[in-house]
Amino acid sequence: MSRFFATGSDSESEESSSADEITPKAPGATFKQSLLLSDDEEDTKRVVRSAKDKRFEELTNLIKTIRNAMKIRDMSKCLEEFEQLCRAFLKSKNIVDKEGIPPFYIRLLADLEDYLNQLWEDKEGKKKMNKNNAKALSTLRQKIRKYNRDFESEIAAYKENPQESADEEEEEKEPEDSGSSSDSEGEVSSKSFLKKKPEAPSEATKFLKTAKGSGDESSSSDEDDDDDDEDWGSDQSGSSGETSDKEEGKTSSMSVLFLKKAQDTEKLGVRKEERKKKPKQKERIEEEAEEEGGEESGGGWEKVKGGVPLVKEKPKMFAKGTEINTAVVVKKLNEILQARGKKGTDRAAQIELFHALAAIAAENNLGQGILVKIKFNIIASLYDYNPNLAAFMKPDMWKKCLDCIDELLDILFEHNNIFIGENIAEDSENLAVSDQPFRVRGCILTLVERMDEEFTKIMQNTDPHSQEYVDNLKDEGRVCGIVDRLLTYLENKGSTEEICRVYLRRIMHTYYKFDYKAHRRSLGLQGETKSEQDQEESEGEDSAVIMDRLCKFIYAKDRTDRIRTCAILCHIYHHALHSRWYQARDLMLMSHLQDNIQHADPPVQILYNRTMVQLGICAFRQGMIKDAHNALLDIQSSGRAKELLGQGLLMRNMQERNAEQEKIEKRRQVPFHMHINLELLECVYLVSAMLLEIPYMAAHEFDARRRMISKQFHHQLRVGERQPLLGPPESMREHVVAASKAMKMGDWRTCHSFIINEKMNSKVWDLFPEAQRVREMLVRKIQEESLRTYLFTYSSVYDSISMATLSEMFELEMPTVHSIISKMIINEELMASLDQPTQTVVMHRTEPTSLQNMALQLAEKLGNLVENNERVFDLKQGVYGGYFNRDQKGGYQQKQSYQRDQKSYQQKQSGYQRGGYRNQNQGNY
Amino acid sequence: MASRKESTSVSSTAMASTGGTLDSPVKQIQIDGLVVLKIIKHYQEEGQGSEVVQGVLLGLVVDDRLEITNCFPFPQHTEDDADFDEVQYQMEMMRSLRHVNIDHLHVGWYQSTYYGSFVSRALLDSQFSYQHAIEESVVLIYDPIKTAQGSLSLKAYRLTPKLMEICKEKDFTPEGLKKANIGFEQMFEEVPIVIKNSHLINVLMWELEDKSTVADKHELLNLSSSNHLEKSLQLLMDRVDDMSQDIVKYNTYSRNLSKQQQQKHQYLQRRQQENAQRQSRGEPPLPEEDISKLFKPPQPPPRMDTLLIAGQINNYCQNVKEFTSQNLGKLFMAEALQGHN
Repeated sequence: MSRFFATGSDSESEESSSADEITPKAPGATFKQSLLLSDDEEDTKRVVRSAKDKRFEELTNLIKTIRNAMKIRDMSKCLEEFEQLCRAFLKSKNIVDKEGIPPFYIRLLADLEDYLNQLWEDKEGKKKMNKNNAKALSTLRQKIRKYNRDFESEIAAYKENPQESADEEEEEKEPEDSGSSSDSEGEVSSKSFLKKKPEAPSEATKFLKTAKGSGDESSSSDEDDDDDDEDWGSDQSGSSGETSDKEEGKTSSMSVLFLKKAQDTEKLGVRKEERKKKPKQKERIEEEAEEEGGEESGGGWEKVKGGVPLVKEKPKMFAKGTEINTAVVVKKLNEILQARGKKGTDRAAQIELFHALAAIAAENNLGQGILVKIKFNIIASLYDYNPNLAAFMKPDMWKKCLDCIDELLDILFEHNNIFIGENIAEDSENLAVSDQPFRVRGCILTLVERMDEEFTKIMQNTDPHSQEYVDNLKDEGRVCGIVDRLLTYLENKGSTEEICRVYLRRIMHTYYKFDYKAHRRSLGLQGETKSEQDQEESEGEDSAVIMDRLCKFIYAKDRTDRIRTCAILCHIYHHALHSRWYQARDLMLMSHLQDNIQHADPPVQILYNRTMVQLGICAFRQGMIKDAHNALLDIQSSGRAKELLGQGLLMRNMQERNAEQEKIEKRRQVPFHMHINLELLECVYLVSAMLLEIPYMAAHEFDARRRMISKQFHHQLRVGERQPLLGPPESMREHVVAASKAMKMGDWRTCHSFIINEKMNSKVWDLFPEAQRVREMLVRKIQEESLRTYLFTYSSVYDSISMATLSEMFELEMPTVHSIISKMIINEELMASLDQPTQTVVMHRTEPTSLQNMALQLAEKLGNLVENNERVFDLKQGVYGGYFNRDQKGGYQQKQSYQRDQKSYQQKQSGYQRGGYRNQNQGNY
Repeated sequence: MASRKESTSVSSTAMASTGGTLDSPVKQIQIDGLVVLKIIKHYQEEGQGSEVVQGVLLGLVVDDRLEITNCFPFPQHTEDDADFDEVQYQMEMMRSLRHVNIDHLHVGWYQSTYYGSFVSRALLDSQFSYQHAIEESVVLIYDPIKTAQGSLSLKAYRLTPKLMEICKEKDFTPEGLKKANIGFEQMFEEVPIVIKNSHLINVLMWELEDKSTVADKHELLNLSSSNHLEKSLQLLMDRVDDMSQDIVKYNTYSRNLSKQQQQKHQYLQRRQQENAQRQSRGEPPLPEEDISKLFKPPQPPPRMDTLLIAGQINNYCQNVKEFTSQNLGKLFMAEALQGHN
């Protein structure tokens, strides 16, 4: 009996498959199938499968009825079926848990919801509905909304990529799939012709048809339906076989297997058929278009009457007969555009539609005007593709976008008679081929700017340490190329404002790049390695010259403050990068940017910070330690250099900022290839702080009021001191700390070996373009500052010291030593005098002793105390009209403090005298 | 040693003349040499640097003279014996001493000091509780550093009756102190000390001095290290800083107070005006409101700390003055010697 049934089902399936052409299956699939067959242990699995099949079958049947109900807009039926479906789905829950939610189920949910929403929005159609239907509609809508919430992610996935989910289905080899997949297959293949929204559009056509009351059997959608019907039939037969002998696992499973096999082949057959269908479909499209074209507005009318909003997305192309002229194309274009930005509009399909339109326009020689217009729209919709501001373009989209812009620029360059501009009104556009020049609305500059931003976004979102980043970075050349082309284009045609904007783009792409070629030229060298030569070729003009030209234009012509500010900052950055310190500094000082940069928007501030840092590093390379320190102080002292330079977010204040802020901050980040090396930055800062701070500390050892030059440096020193066990330095910071300690003792050799060694070279110094020169400068600075420190620290030990000895100790030339000591004497830092004939420094020994220092401090503190006390007294005396009093008092106090200063000076004097007295004493003894 | 002892007793007798004006039950303190040695030994063994050692004084009161005849130290506190019962220990100690027939009357306590810094809240509180319980009790301040330099420094202090009053009332507000009319000078009274040994000991001392091989040469002109001066200055500076802070605090307080006073005044005036208007219109006057609720006076800063700091500063200054005057004298002597040579 079982055998009988099995064969029965077999024949059934064969029947269904015989309807199509049987083609060899994919090899992988066959292999799997055969494996399944031969495997004895498959039994259990087979049983499960059959149960699953049964459940799924039930579901598919229900789905089919729902779809049918949808077609005839029978809402009450729909609702009923949907409720059943939900129950059935609940029943098959354990299977679903095992297998995952069947994609066809998800598809139904998504489609149903879309459909309902569309119905809902169509007010007119709703009015026409009978009461029952309308009620059912609202209940169903609510229901499905609630229900779909559970499947949100799946539906979203489906909506995002209907094809893929369909493909997945195919792989799953569900018996039911063959039907649905053929369905989707049909869509996929037909999509390229139809440019319609998958699934829904096909349904739309159906609705249209039903609305029109004409059963056009030749339409592919109906064919799909036919396929479906066949599939259902076969499934049903299979299931009937199963239900009749559930216990007979083997036979039933066998039947299922056969069934599946058959369906597989059938599916493939369908696919093949599809290929055959294509021409047919084309015909159909044309037929349909003809229909539409023939009826002209009539078709449109009907649609409105039908009240199905879906008509908007109905695949539209031009009828064969209609004369394709500019007006028609523009109309079509506007039609497509209307769907833009609406919910449920498939953006990918829209782009496809635009492309098709462009192709048609090109085919019919409608002139460049319309082509340009379509291109504008294509690019715009490419940008629109991502609804989310934070999301970045996919690589293929990005490539497409670049191509499009390139093409657009090609057209613009080739045809001089096209005027584009954002201020050209829609109605004053001139797109038709005529003697008059084309006038097209749109702004190429905005598009390119947007492209640039997209590029930044892509770079921001790529892992900077991956190959992908490098690949993406290669596009920078193209981006630059486009900007360059636009620049030449706008130089001829654009307004000054536009030129300024495009110049700024150009500058933004130039300022952070080191011009190796110019650098080498200045050194009088030729490129040796190949990569350098490549670079040489890629850059035509000296970037400095370009920067100069562009920036000066902007300075002269720009009226918006922002562009000028950015240009100035970039210019300074570029100067600083190429070690033109004086130009950079002068520009910074002349621009007065420091005064009002805090009012600028954050990206500009980031740029400002970057510029300051670069300026500081430049000063360091030039040996202007103090300038370097001052420039870097602001950035480094906050300890948030990373954040201030837009090179990463700090985790520290994570709890303070919410997700929204974080997103904004993320968008501000500078792409990795523009980063400034933070370690280099810190090292430069610390070394310059060391060179300043150590002599200062030595000079003011006993000064209570001693202020710190660099808090950060002191912090590092303290950290170093806190270390319980001092090993050889590892990190850059430890190196600097160790060097500082050596310098404190005036030991320049050790200091030198800590600052300049292999580790530090590879970490820091080699990153400079003129590493050797920087190192030489650094050594010299270390020698000089060590000498100063030595003199400060040990002058009390010496009565006199010969300059020759000093020069030998610090390996400095005599004149240098002489000048350093003279400077110290003049600045009253060192109490000594030079004895010319013997070339020695004679110490005066006038530094106050620690006790004297202490007394001075105490005097000062007492002064403060008295001042405070007087203030209390003040309050007691004059309660009213305090202000005048206060001022007077202030003056009085100032005078007092002046007196006090004098007093302390006297004290100092007396201290000296006393010291002298003691000396005398000692001398006498 | 004997000469030193004499010098202290001389100085203390000199003080005793001033002490006569004090209106306290104790006018003179007589300490046994044993007590002095025990205190010195205690510090030597347990105290280091700025650490402070403390102990209990035992003795009895004879007329207006307090005789301290024995003492014992408090054990040093460590972290792990937090549950150590001090009172228990003291009682135990005294009982034991009584067994060996030693005066067991609690007459005060002693404490070592670091460069003369002892005027603190803790000292005030504990001395207050002592004096509150036992009227005659004193606190002996022992300065080990000065002693190490050659001059035994042992001073006895008592709280003045005025301060006792204030402490009893716990009123340390500016007004309270003002009313009590107390300055830092009147916080503590120093009681003159006499060190007394039994005749037997004196005899022994004389004999020892004869036998002693130590050269009786004092480096008279040694300007003992300036380290001492520096330390004192440093401590003085710290206190001055504290003082400044306190004054600033007080300043803000008084400013706030006056501001509030003004506001209160304005408020009252407005209220009066309104009431006058209402009266002219024949309406009932506004109900009285609790003004003190509307204007809460700012919390006055406690002034006791300031007083203590002032006292401490005074103390330091005395120290420094003493030290410098001695040194100056030595310097002049040295100059004279040099001139003579």
